[in-house]
Amino acid sequence: MSKKWQKSVFFDIFFIFAKDNGMLTIVFRAIIIYVVVLFLYRLMGKRQLGEMQPFELVLTLIIADLATIPMAEVSVPVLHGIIPLLTLVVLHFVLAFLCKLSEKFSQFVSGKPVIVINPKGIDYKALKNLDISVDDVFEALRGSGYFKIEQVQYAIMETNGKMSVLPKSNFAPLTVQDMKLQVEKSTIPINIINEGKIVKDNLGIAKLDESTIQKILKKANVKRVKDVLLLTVDKAGAVYLQKYHEKYVTMNISPLGEVEE
Amino acid sequence: MTKWLWFKLVAVLALVGVIVGVCFLEDRMVKDALGEVNTRCYEIETAIQENGGIVNGEVASLVDNLEYEWFKKESGLCFLVNHKNTEQLGVEIVRLKTYIDEEEEIEFYVSLNIIKNYVETFQHFMGAGVENIL
Repeated sequence: MSKKWQKSVFFDIFFIFAKDNGMLTIVFRAIIIYVVVLFLYRLMGKRQLGEMQPFELVLTLIIADLATIPMAEVSVPVLHGIIPLLTLVVLHFVLAFLCKLSEKFSQFVSGKPVIVINPKGIDYKALKNLDISVDDVFEALRGSGYFKIEQVQYAIMETNGKMSVLPKSNFAPLTVQDMKLQVEKSTIPINIINEGKIVKDNLGIAKLDESTIQKILKKANVKRVKDVLLLTVDKAGAVYLQKYHEKYVTMNISPLGEVEE
Repeated sequence: MTKWLWFKLVAVLALVGVIVGVCFLEDRMVKDALGEVNTRCYEIETAIQENGGIVNGEVASLVDNLEYEWFKKESGLCFLVNHKNTEQLGVEIVRLKTYIDEEEEIEFYVSLNIIKNYVETFQHFMGAGVENIL
């Protein structure tokens, strides 16, 4: 049997089966709608539910509802679900564009941040305008780590519904600057091996080559790359290596490229 | 502008293009399919008047043609229109054939008028008029 013939028979059988199978239609519809919704969300950017502006939240809720209609109802064409989704996403971009163009329009759509606690205390008028209670303010303050209102200099209700809190200076967390200490600059660790695989794009960023990685593995008594759960290196040369189901080890890469424990 | 912003701009324009394209396509396909049905219904009526009844080869042939054309166009319409909105038309066309076999002229006329009425009301239902939008 030729491969071409086998392929043809396979597709014939598949299409005969698929044509009479209602459940399979739903499976395909679910896949199509999933891909479309995923694409649209990627296009709209990364936003967490709590970080959404009001119009983004509305869009998310409607999209969720619209996507399910053609998925479950076979008599409704998939386009009846997709076209409203596309329309809403285009509308979203138009709104976002107009918000960038005009501050007033942005305030009309998203509202503006409101100061609810100022140095005089709670601004009751602001609470009334926002239609929130003192309990809501306390809940938000506790969420930010402040349990007493006298610790707070300003609290601002953001347009996404989150409260930003500025503590009074004497209640602010101690920083290195307050202590006037000299500390090394923080650097971001770069993943070199992630779940047994070398992240090749990151080798260039960390300015490492494979021979240095081999030196690190040898020093940590690791035989194969696939035994490593995580290997990170930061700009200062600090190495973090953890094998699967074992405790991590740390080491350093000297400026000369030598690996030291 | 970064590559991502360019991509977004192109994607949004493409989405607008898809929306406009689908709207035009739907309008064209629906008008084409329903116009065809309407024309054929009038042809059937003319044939009945000329032949003095429904039991003759010409009417049967015209009904067969109507059925063939409708089911051919319906499969295309299914991409754009809710199947439930179009299935009634198919049912009435099939009934026409049965009424010819059974020589039930009154029922034949009823079904033919239902089809004509359906075509007219469906065209109203499809348009983006204020009454449909609201």
